[in-house]
This record gives sequence, structure tokens and C-alpha cells, in this order.
Amino acid sequence: MFAERESPLLVYITVLIALMLSVLPLPQMLSIVWPNLLVLVVLYWSTLTPRAGGMLVGFLAGLTLDVLNGSQLGQHAFALSLVTYLALRLHLLTRAKPIFEQTLFVLIALFVYEGALWALDGFSNHSTGTWTRWVHVATGAAIWPLIVGLLGRLHSPR
Amino acid sequence: MAFAGGGLNRPSSRDSAPGPRFFVFAAISIVLMYFDQRDGWGERIRYGLQAVAYPIQLAIGSPRMLWSATSDLFETRASLRAENAALQKRERELALVTMRYEALEQENARLRDIHGVVPPLVSRSQLADVVNADLGRLRQRFVINKGDTNGLFRSQAVVDTAGLVGQLVRVGPWSAEVMLITDPEHAVPVEVVRNGYRTIAVGNGDAEELQLPFVPVTADIKAGDVLVTSGLGGVFPAGVPVAVVAENTRDPDEILARVRATPRATLTRSRQVLALWFDPTHPATPVNPDLIDKLPPAPAGPAVPPPSDDPPDKPAAKAATQPAPAPRPAAAAETTP
Repeated sequence: MFAERESPLLVYITVLIALMLSVLPLPQMLSIVWPNLLVLVVLYWSTLTPRAGGMLVGFLAGLTLDVLNGSQLGQHAFALSLVTYLALRLHLLTRAKPIFEQTLFVLIALFVYEGALWALDGFSNHSTGTWTRWVHVATGAAIWPLIVGLLGRLHSPR
Repeated sequence: MAFAGGGLNRPSSRDSAPGPRFFVFAAISIVLMYFDQRDGWGERIRYGLQAVAYPIQLAIGSPRMLWSATSDLFETRASLRAENAALQKRERELALVTMRYEALEQENARLRDIHGVVPPLVSRSQLADVVNADLGRLRQRFVINKGDTNGLFRSQAVVDTAGLVGQLVRVGPWSAEVMLITDPEHAVPVEVVRNGYRTIAVGNGDAEELQLPFVPVTADIKAGDVLVTSGLGGVFPAGVPVAVVAENTRDPDEILARVRATPRATLTRSRQVLALWFDPTHPATPVNPDLIDKLPPAPAGPAVPPPSDDPPDKPAAKAATQPAPAPRPAAAAETTP
């Protein structure tokens, strides 16, 4: 119902903030468990309000992440587009599910995201890292209810 | 509310199938990745995007910069005095260390049979602030606030006052990205000062540690050995301090020893670094001739005019001096810091 009222501006601002938070320089230990907020926020918008989100946001955010991270140009853009695509395709299936089940979907989506990055790292002969790169998949899924609560507060004033 | 109309005007996202859109974006991503593997267009696209991303990087780094700015503001007179005294003491010590430096440099040149005056190795340096640091397991990078407009170039050597920091991997208009020596994708050819043993130091994503993965158990390396660049990689000059060996664990059953070293440069706490230009006529400059040809000349600065000798015989002299074991410049550099 209130999907119709979503302003693209709100989406852009939250995505930008999430982008900045996901490239924040952090201490070593914290950076391992730090969830990828950008993917979570993009997932949120494309699942709950697919009209406002859209794949372009995911693609552009991913491209900016590539430049900020210094990774190959297009790597994160590809992974985020893929996740956005899945979220858009499955949003009717996932959006009405209880939060626990959604968390499961998010876990899978984050796994797909990191898996795509991992595969692209491998294809291009970059270092594929150690097991620590997968930790944020779990922590990201764990804070999904928090993200839903926060963003839901932002866009549906009651 | 003001954007409610905007939301209604865009019914396409849901109705048009996301499949074709995904294919378009995936295709663009793959094309970008393809070009990024090669130099040329990928670099140019990134150059533009880097300019766009720089404000975001500044914003991310701003809390830290704001903190240091405010702590500068409230620094007391007493602490400034103490700092001043400490700096003066350090300057005296450095002056003592470098007192005989020039004489030694010329003597060294004579011993190595290089005729003519040896120019200073570093012809120019550019001080840059670290505006953003990305020190994770996967990557160890800095973003600095100087770029193409200051004449920085790709694969330029970056040091701080203690030792080697890394090299520039991407240069944007106003910013540049430094790959640290501890980055998992970085390797630097090093040499043990004590005996001239050469090997390669590889980063592993830990800012406090370098690994020497190609050292046989029989090699003469022990804790406390100072590692300097050997100058063989073609990026760094010979004799820049890199690290100190922390431990060497030898397992007789294995072929290779496990050697860990601690970087000399304070990578986690660096706030300012120096990008260096080298005089191509100095014997310790990077030996890669392709790179030397491509190096842009140092922009106007306190550069020393090159000595008046004919350039053709210089590369030959360099080629002759480099392959021979060169513990001399290393030993000279060891005493400098």
C-alpha cells in the first residue's frame, strides 16, 4: 500500500549512507564481522518497495563501491545487480514472510553476493582471501531484523 | 510527500521484467571488468569515477581528520614545547648520522667505479595526507589527498620517515591510492643488510606483518635482521628500509622456513606519507628500463641539475652495477634512520 508513496530520494540517501558505512575504515577484528550494509539496504528497498529501488540503484552503488574499494571496475556492480535481480524477482515471495524466514532469504542473498565476488576474484587472478571474507554473510543476516525496523520507521510514518 | 508524484510516475520497475534489465547491467559490468584488466579505457573510466568518489572518501575520512584537527587546536603550550624539544633533539641526532653521508656516497661511487658526481637519489618528494585507510584482510590500501594534478604517477614509490610504505596503484585527479607492502597482492624484492641475501617479502593482509615465503631452511636469516629493498623489482630503488625480521621458524622436515617480519613504516598510524621521484642517473634507482623511459620528469622543485655526462653510457653502467651483489648502498641506508 505505502509502496506507492516511496520517494526515490529516500532510497538514494539511505543507499549513500549505507555505502559510506560499508567502506568505513575499521579496526581489523571489527572489519571482519562488519556487515555489508549496502547490500542489506539495497535488498530492503528492492524487496519491500520494488518501484522505488530498482536495479539501477544497485548497479550504480556497486560501481561506486568498486571505485572506493579499488576492486576491479564492475565487480561489485555485477554482484549487486545480481542480488537486486533476485530480490526483485522474488519480492512477492519474500516480502510477506515472517522476519525469521526473511532472514533466511537474506542469508542466501548475501551468500550469492559474496560468492559472485569470490568467483570474479578467482577468474581475474586476484587474491580470493581466506574464510574471513564469509563472516559478514552471517552477521549481515543476523542484523536484518534491525535494518527492517530502522528503514521501516523511516518510510512509513504513522 | 513532495516526491509522491515521482514515485507514481515510475511504474516501470515492477512491470518491465527485471530479467532483461539484469542482463544489460551484467553485460555492462562484464565489459567494464574486461577493460579494467587492460590498461587504457578502464583506467580512463576509473580516473573520472575516482574524481566523483573523492568527496565520498573525504566524507568517510572526515571524522578522523576532524578529531586530529580538534586535538591540534587544544594542544597546550607545554606539550608543544616538549614536542619542539624532542624534534630538535632528533634533528641533532639525524645531523650526526648524515654528517658523513655525502662523503660516503662519493666514496662509494668511486669504489664502484662510477665516474662523475652521483646526484641525490631522491630528486623530489611530495608530502601527502592519508585521507582514508582501508586496512582489512583482503586489502591494505591508503587514499592520499594528492593526485595527477600534483604530478603523481602509477607505481610511484611511497615512503614515510621510517621506511617503505607501498606504491601508487591508481591515480585520480586529486587523489591516489597507495597499495601498502602488507597488501595480500603486494610483493617487494628485499635483501638482508647483514649478508646481502635476496628474497621477496609478501604482504598477508596484516598491517603489522610481512612474510618471506621463499626462504629455504638453510638460508642465513635470523630475527633482528634488517631488510631493505634490493632494487630488482623495478619499482623501488635499492636500499630503502622495509622491515625487520621478527622470527624465523625452521622445521627440518620442510623445505622452506617460515619467516615473519615487521614493517618499519608505521602503516596503521601513518597520517602523512611521501611520494618520491628518483633521479634516473643515480645507480640505485629502479632498474626496469621500461619504467625509467615512461617516468614523467619530476615537476619543478628543488631538483638538482643532472651531471654533465653523456647519457648513452649511463644505462650500461647501471646494468653492470646492478646484478652484482650490492651490500654497500644497503649498509649506508641502514645507518640512516
